[in-house]
Amino acid sequence: MQRHDVASVTNAPIVAPRAFSPRDTQKVGGVALAVWVVGGCGCPVLHSMKKMLAAAVSRVLGGGAQKPASRVLVASCNYSNDATFEIKKCDLHRLEEGPPVTAVLTREDGLQYYRMMQTVRRMELKADQLYKQKFIRGFCHLCDGQEACYVGLKAGANPSDHAITAYRAHGLCYAYGLSVQSILAELTGRRGGCAKGKGGSMHMYGRNFYGGNGIVGAQVPLGAGVALACKYKGSNEVCLTLYGDGAANQGQIFEAYNMAALWKLPCIFICENNRYGMGTAIERASASTDYYKRVNFIPGLRVDGMDVLCVREAAKFAADYCRSGKGPIVMELQTYRYHGHSMSDPGISYRTREEIQNIRSKSDPIMLLKDKMLNNKLSSIEELKEIDVGVRKEIDDAAQFATTDPEPPLEELGHHVYNNNLPFEVRGTNQWIKFKSIS
Amino acid sequence: MAVAAAIACRLLRLRAAGAGGHWRRLRGAGLPRGFLQPASAGEDAAQWRRVAHFTFQPDPEPLEYGQTQKMNLFQAVTSALDNSLAKDPTAVIFGEDVAFGGVFRCTVGLRDKYGKDRVFNTPLCEQGIVGFGIGIAVTGATAIAEIQFADYIFPAFDQIVNEAAKYRYRSGDLFNCGSLTIRAPWGCVGHGAVYHSQSPEAFFAHCPGIKVVVPRSPFQAKGLLLSCIEDKNPCIFFEPKILYRAAVEQVPVEPYNIPLSQAEVIQEGSDVTLVAWGTQVHVIREVASMAQEKLGVSCEVIDLRTIIPWDVDTVCKSAGLETENLKMLTLSSWERQSVIKTGRLLVSHEAPLTGGFASEISSTVQEECFLNLEAPISRVCGYDTPFPHVFEPFYIPDKWKCYDALRKMINY
Repeated sequence: MQRHDVASVTNAPIVAPRAFSPRDTQKVGGVALAVWVVGGCGCPVLHSMKKMLAAAVSRVLGGGAQKPASRVLVASCNYSNDATFEIKKCDLHRLEEGPPVTAVLTREDGLQYYRMMQTVRRMELKADQLYKQKFIRGFCHLCDGQEACYVGLKAGANPSDHAITAYRAHGLCYAYGLSVQSILAELTGRRGGCAKGKGGSMHMYGRNFYGGNGIVGAQVPLGAGVALACKYKGSNEVCLTLYGDGAANQGQIFEAYNMAALWKLPCIFICENNRYGMGTAIERASASTDYYKRVNFIPGLRVDGMDVLCVREAAKFAADYCRSGKGPIVMELQTYRYHGHSMSDPGISYRTREEIQNIRSKSDPIMLLKDKMLNNKLSSIEELKEIDVGVRKEIDDAAQFATTDPEPPLEELGHHVYNNNLPFEVRGTNQWIKFKSIS
Repeated sequence: MAVAAAIACRLLRLRAAGAGGHWRRLRGAGLPRGFLQPASAGEDAAQWRRVAHFTFQPDPEPLEYGQTQKMNLFQAVTSALDNSLAKDPTAVIFGEDVAFGGVFRCTVGLRDKYGKDRVFNTPLCEQGIVGFGIGIAVTGATAIAEIQFADYIFPAFDQIVNEAAKYRYRSGDLFNCGSLTIRAPWGCVGHGAVYHSQSPEAFFAHCPGIKVVVPRSPFQAKGLLLSCIEDKNPCIFFEPKILYRAAVEQVPVEPYNIPLSQAEVIQEGSDVTLVAWGTQVHVIREVASMAQEKLGVSCEVIDLRTIIPWDVDTVCKSAGLETENLKMLTLSSWERQSVIKTGRLLVSHEAPLTGGFASEISSTVQEECFLNLEAPISRVCGYDTPFPHVFEPFYIPDKWKCYDALRKMINY
């Protein structure tokens, strides 16, 4: 069994040995990314980040020290550190130049992206299973097939950037740092969930991540508002505002475009075009299916959403564009979802199984990344299989938690309706049963 | 404390479960074991979630409208739409996903039968759908718009309230959009959570110029929907989505009308009047039989059917004797010579209590029949919170809460 390269540990290895929790993996990777990106930050910040990195690194060393040294040394020679790939050129609208056509993928990044995408995939499939077993009820919109979008967006943006999306949110939730456990527990409506079990599938929130919104298109003006706050506070952050191809026809989106362009808000409008708005193909719903060209006064990019490197480079480009004060930008991610719109939609009444199979075999995002990594000696099959096993275990543990955690207590029915200093009583049903509302 | 809460949860859930079978099964198993089981025990968790809070009670087969067929609610709606499109060559049906049959199968087969220029999909834009419908109606064609869930009607709220409702008034009757009907699935469904369970009839009750109708069964739905479509005022027709499959009845195949603004007295009684609409009617029917059985109390059950303009006459005559100065006297086949006096009124709906339609009924009835009331009017409604996800069984005004309120009213 190959072990990760302990000798080059200063590059912050990402593959987790058993002793390392998945959250640490992300933290280390995230920290590495942050250190690299935020380089010019003030000294104290960089110093503390270096300390965090050192701490994480020492944990890895501690964990890896148990393995026989000989096996470790053998491993270190086999992998290249990074590789350069040619990526698809983005279609541009009102832009002279777009994101670069080549991208460098380092080994660590590659492993991290692979792990994240595999986790999202497995998590969605587990959610499917739990739904069919009736542990998850209500509405559940799965995003398997679209993993590259979320992982790529997160990789291309800064950790301090904000994001808001619609109801197909589980993938972005995970990318934005929510643990699989809290996501699955929220789906099953338990108190360990990220919204304490009160939100469910469509209402998950995290740091700098504003959900999880049920009403189609309603989150876009909200995203523009978050961007306004970023600009106002001068924090050099942008807001990634995601919506779907169905939502692209909502009136409020155009209102948000206008305001963002007028006030030059650092808002990246991202249309996840998965070709079907519920059951309606884009040709039958939209007069123009060039979603990146929808707005005459906002520049746009069309990006291959199945290639994580494409998405990453485009996200970086778009974020830099916004950060430089030029105003909003629209990004269309061409992607695909394997499941139906929600769990009550089999997904085959409006498209053929052949089409789904075709995409799965030709442009599955995880498969594409895996091929890239294997063909360029960034990893090996065994290592990736090991990641798969680790991911599977993580998901199983999370599912176990999600099905056994208790539900939120009944008293919470009335909580958090308003923000009030003194608890008040929520009226309803009859005069004799009241719930206290505390927040 | 948490354990006590969990046990209380389980107790309430058991009581709320309703179906006798479930209750008996646990009794046989030994109640203590049921109590001590964790709330999330797999099989049992799945079990009690499937139990609905009501039992649909079909009406007897109607004989005066010709041949009938067994239909559930969505089939009754399809039948009504079929009849409308056949009778009225200008009628069109549009909305999100109606072409293939609709997410609740209410428009199955209509596109094949009447063509794609009469049954067509719109993009995802509720405000656009209703605005567009108003435009069609103003020129005289019949527009039947579908909003996919009542929860999504709010982007169209401005169009309904400001454009549709006020058209006739502001143009001095020169123009109107009376041939507009908006249909939307409505009400709790057991697992809908925040955005698939709302009952927004109270928002529209505050708007003169439109009519809001909620049926309780397939037979009622078809007749009321046909009346709405033919009515010369813009109408909103809310269909209880939990009844789409659960409610099965014999429904006439031919078109027929049920008059709007007329409440129906489903069961006559002399002690308490119970008023509800939509799914809740079945809950209060069960409450009425429970009251008869356990307390010997005779209940009068009224289905309001039309929310606005509502049938003040029937409710007041039921709740109070000798009502003077009734503002809206409607001539109806249900007018009776002998007035039923109960003196007690209970109104129930799933929507939140504050500002819910029960408050309008309550305040009008106390104005008209103050001296005849024996007890304060009781409202059993949802809590003043957004519609919850996991807490739904506790949120909805199920039969136990209504029964409790009724008992307290009797003993007032």
